[in-house]
Amino acid sequence: MAKKGAKLAAKAPMTNKQSNGVTDKKQKADRRKSNDPPVEEPVAEADEEEWEDEDSEDESDEEEGGVDFSKLEDINDSDSDSEIGSDDDDEAEDDDEESEIDVDDLDLDDMDPEEKEELAATTRVRQTINNKDALLAALKRISLLPTEPKKAATVPFAYHMTLVTSKPTQDAIPSIDDDLERELAFLNQARESALQARTLLKKENVPFTRPTDYFAETLRSDETMQAVKRKMVEAATAKKASAEARKQRDLKKFGKQVQVQKQQERAKEKRATLEKINELKRKRKDGGGAALGAREVDDMFDVAVDNELGSNKAGGKRGRSAGDHGAPNAKRQKKNEKYGFGGKKRFAKSGDAVSSGDMTGFSAKRMKHGGGAGDGKKTFSSMSAKAKGSKPRLGKDKRKAGGRR
Amino acid sequence: MAAVYKSLAKTSKSDKMDIDDDAKNGSSNGLRKNKQRVLILSSRGVTHRHRHLLNDLAAMLPHGRKDAKFDSKSKLYQLNELAELYNCNNVMFFEARKGKDLYMWFSKVPNGPTIKFHAQNLHTMEELHFQGNCLKGSRPILSFDATFETEPHLQVIKEVFTHMFGVPEGARKSKPFIDHVMGFSVADGKIWIRNYEIREVAKTKGEGEEEEEEETSKKSKKGGDSRETDISLIEIGPRFVLTPIIIQEGAFGGPIIYENKRFISPNHVRAELRRGKASKHVARQEQTRDNLARKRKLGLENGEVFKDKSGLDTRELFA
Repeated sequence: MAKKGAKLAAKAPMTNKQSNGVTDKKQKADRRKSNDPPVEEPVAEADEEEWEDEDSEDESDEEEGGVDFSKLEDINDSDSDSEIGSDDDDEAEDDDEESEIDVDDLDLDDMDPEEKEELAATTRVRQTINNKDALLAALKRISLLPTEPKKAATVPFAYHMTLVTSKPTQDAIPSIDDDLERELAFLNQARESALQARTLLKKENVPFTRPTDYFAETLRSDETMQAVKRKMVEAATAKKASAEARKQRDLKKFGKQVQVQKQQERAKEKRATLEKINELKRKRKDGGGAALGAREVDDMFDVAVDNELGSNKAGGKRGRSAGDHGAPNAKRQKKNEKYGFGGKKRFAKSGDAVSSGDMTGFSAKRMKHGGGAGDGKKTFSSMSAKAKGSKPRLGKDKRKAGGRR
Repeated sequence: MAAVYKSLAKTSKSDKMDIDDDAKNGSSNGLRKNKQRVLILSSRGVTHRHRHLLNDLAAMLPHGRKDAKFDSKSKLYQLNELAELYNCNNVMFFEARKGKDLYMWFSKVPNGPTIKFHAQNLHTMEELHFQGNCLKGSRPILSFDATFETEPHLQVIKEVFTHMFGVPEGARKSKPFIDHVMGFSVADGKIWIRNYEIREVAKTKGEGEEEEEEETSKKSKKGGDSRETDISLIEIGPRFVLTPIIIQEGAFGGPIIYENKRFISPNHVRAELRRGKASKHVARQEQTRDNLARKRKLGLENGEVFKDKSGLDTRELFA
């Protein structure tokens, strides 16, 4: 009921507004006079907002429902707008009615709060205000460009520098929450305009590109830009470092495999060599004892085996193994012996089964004449032996060397 | 001497240009010179982020006039007088509420309209993920989404943006080159504002590739100057999102000619969240109350055991 009443009450101002369209400016001035002075308007509005807040806290559920419903209505509205382009008059009237109701609502501000409450309860779904006529009038009042499209087309682009894209950007955004897609759509919109603007401006001979020698204050300060640059560099290095680390990790993982493979290969090779040696030995045995005597010297040094192995290795991958190097020169050998590289030095002088079994340099004669070495007169006896001019027992190294020779 | 000659030559040339321009624009089109001045100010109680955004916008607009914080939030009509005082015909007013919500008022001063926005997702130029930069005071290209032409209220918003963000030709501190573009897009019922640097990338590629590029650029409606450079955009900032709330016919006053019903006040949102949390507590309270009531009904109050008060109780019997 209240709504209907409001509608009826709205009739008068509506007619007023319709006549507005005919004589524009004068009426507008009138209206401005007839309206409340703008002084009171924001205050009243603020009051209303507060009141709304309280209200909504009480009846949130209803409010919610209301919002949804109004949304639905909105959607319907827009749909019908887009569909029915020709039925403009009807549509406009409808809009007018709606808006008038709302204007009335606003006029009812000076009612009692109770009455207001009642009204609000009956017309729970608040109407949308979308006074298209007033909006268009306002647009016309402030627009930079002439309203006729013909004249507007003659205005140089440099005058306003505004461009409207051909397609709505919203269509290019699948989901508003997807930041990347959304920003890309905005960027594309701006890019399209920028390209278009460049051609337009070049056509009008307006300078576009900044010359490289034109320096002036920039929008963002140098410190900011340096910070930006620093951040970029940091990001780049961090990225690089992480990539490196990943590579290293992968390598480590893969390196293990390589190592295992190598070990297996080595073991295989060793087995192959041993097999070959055994085979050779068997072959030799089969070859008969006759040849054995003749080739005693050869046999002693296993030359055949060496040859066999050498022939095998020459074709192989590992060309430069230790055996390939040939013996170092004499000087080197001596040095190696003296300073190292001569193999194990420890326990070289300690006795073992061979040394204790070694009887070279032992003579029974000396044993009889010189007195016992085990008597503790070793030094004396050896001295006496020297004095006598007999050959003393050589040191172990020497003895060994001599034995081999 | 050379400098003097140069300046003289320039003035004479520019005079001529002006005359030409006048002949071109002024008389034939009935176009007046685009004179815009924007008063930029905030209310008290803005946060640092709001203040930085305001500073950024002020830096971007050479035709802007930044003023001290405005004291009142209810008597906004006083801004009209203030704007008149500063010879401004636009007002950009940042109204902060509760030290967190930012409302932006865009108003054409002497006689409207006024648009009230709710600003969200503010990112200022200080932020380091924006990598672009441009001349201070160069004129931006304003790129509007096609949606802006569909609805009257969006048309009004577009026009007001054109006045506020577009630097008028020949503004006092403006620079002669164009190196940034501002994008205004409508999505999800909100207006998204972005600012990009236009970087012209020289095509330092082989001949064959150049041909190819030419083709592609022709595809993107260019053709003519594709040989020279390509355009790449880098964001400068600030970036923010505006939700239109109302449009008033006058300047900070007058009847409301548009109201956005899809706008839900941040207060509502917060209240809703709080209520959601509170409902849990309320439910628990109710449960305990019910439990208590049930126990009382059974006579089990305060942990007492139910007592048989009849004569058959042992204590009664053997007293």
